[in-house]
Amino acid sequence: MSKFAVNGRSAIEQGLQACPICTCISEFKVYPDHCPVCRNTISVRKKNSLQLTWALIITAAILLIPANLFPITILLKNGTENPDTIFSGISSLIKTGMPGIAIIVFFASFVVPILKILILTLISLSIHFKWNLSTTKQLYAHKAIDFIGKWSVLDLFVISIMSAVFNKGVLLSVYPGTGASAFTLVIITTLFATRTFDTRLIWDTTNNG
Amino acid sequence: MKTIICRHCDMVSKIPFISRKHVAKCSRCNSTVYKNTKFNPPAMLALCLTALFICYPAFILPLISLHMLKITEGTALIDGPLMFLHSDPIVAITVFFCAVVAPVLLLLSIAYSSLCIMINHYPIYLPKVFKLTRALIHWSMLDVYMLSILVSISKLLHYADLYVGIGFYFFVALLLVDMTIIANYSNDYYWKLFHQRNHEHHNQLKVNC
Repeated sequence: MSKFAVNGRSAIEQGLQACPICTCISEFKVYPDHCPVCRNTISVRKKNSLQLTWALIITAAILLIPANLFPITILLKNGTENPDTIFSGISSLIKTGMPGIAIIVFFASFVVPILKILILTLISLSIHFKWNLSTTKQLYAHKAIDFIGKWSVLDLFVISIMSAVFNKGVLLSVYPGTGASAFTLVIITTLFATRTFDTRLIWDTTNNG
Repeated sequence: MKTIICRHCDMVSKIPFISRKHVAKCSRCNSTVYKNTKFNPPAMLALCLTALFICYPAFILPLISLHMLKITEGTALIDGPLMFLHSDPIVAITVFFCAVVAPVLLLLSIAYSSLCIMINHYPIYLPKVFKLTRALIHWSMLDVYMLSILVSISKLLHYADLYVGIGFYFFVALLLVDMTIIANYSNDYYWKLFHQRNHEHHNQLKVNC
C-alpha cells in the first residue's frame, strides 16, 4: 500500500475502500472492480444502491394494497369458506380475548412492513434532496428496520402451521389466500430493499453538501 | 494495531488487539466494527454438528399434536410448506427457505469453514463460503419460527385439545444451539486466520489487512 490510512477521516476522502467480504483495505483507483486479497467483486459504494432501493420500495408499496385487501387465510368450516384479511384476523383475535397475540400480529404484519417502507423512503429522499437530517438518527432508523425486518415473516409461519394442523383433520381446513402471496412478496422486497441500501451514502451527502 | 473501515459510515479507525469478550465500535456511528469469538474453530464445528444432528428430528417429528374427535394428529415443521406447495408456491417456498433451507445451509457453511481452518486446508473457494455465511445469517429465522409456534398454539387452544409434540423439544434445543452459534460466529476472526495463512504463503502481497 502506497499510503497509510489516517484515523478519524472517511475512507473515500483518502481514496480507500474496504472489501465487503474480507474487510481488506485497498485503493479504489488501483483495484476498481475486484479485491486484491479475496478476488471478490468490489466497488467503493454498493452499485445502483439508491435505484434498486427505490424500485423495491415502490414494488412493496404497490403490493401492500392487495396484501391488505385480499384474504390472507381462508378457513373452510362445515363446507363454507370464511376468508380472513390481516385486519379481520387481528380483530377476531381481540374478540376472542387474546389482545397480547393481536398486538404481536398487528406489529409483525402491519406496522413493520409500513414502517420499513416509510423509513427507507425518508432516508432515500433525504439523500436525494440533501436534507440536513441527523446522520446518526438515520443510521439508527436503518438499523432498527434491519433488525425488526425478519419478524414480519411471523404471520407466514403461523399460516403454515395452522394450515398444516387443520388439513390433517376432517372438520376444519385452513389454506392461504391471494393476499398471502402478495404479503410474502412485500416482505421479500422490503428485506432486499433494506439490504441493498448503502448507509454510507448518508454521510457522503452531508459531507459534500 | 489493525486498520478497519466501518461498513456503515465509511470511517477509518485503528483498533488495538481486542480480547475475547470485547468488541470494537466505530468512533462516528457507534456500530460494531470488530468482534472476537468466544469459541475457537473446533468448538464451533462441534456446535454446528450438534445442531445439524438435532435438525432432522426437529424438522420431521411432530411439533404440535391436536386431539380432535378421538383422533390425535401430529404436525411437523416441514408439513406446512409441503401442504400448499401447489396451491400457493410463493408462500410455501418462502416458508421452506427461511425455516429449513437457510438454517441448515448456514450450519453447513460454518461447519465447513471451521473444519477447513481446523485441518489447515484452505481451498480456493473458501472466501465464497464466508460470503455465503454472511448472507445466510439474515435469512435463518428459527427464532421467528419459535414465536410463531407460540402464537399458533394460543390460537389453536380455542379449537381443540393441544399437546406439545416431541419435535418441539428438539426444536427448542436446535434454537438454543443455533442462537449460540450465530451470536458467537465472528466473520472477522475467520478472515484473520485466513489472511495469516495467506501472508505466510504469499509474502509479495502488498496490502494492509
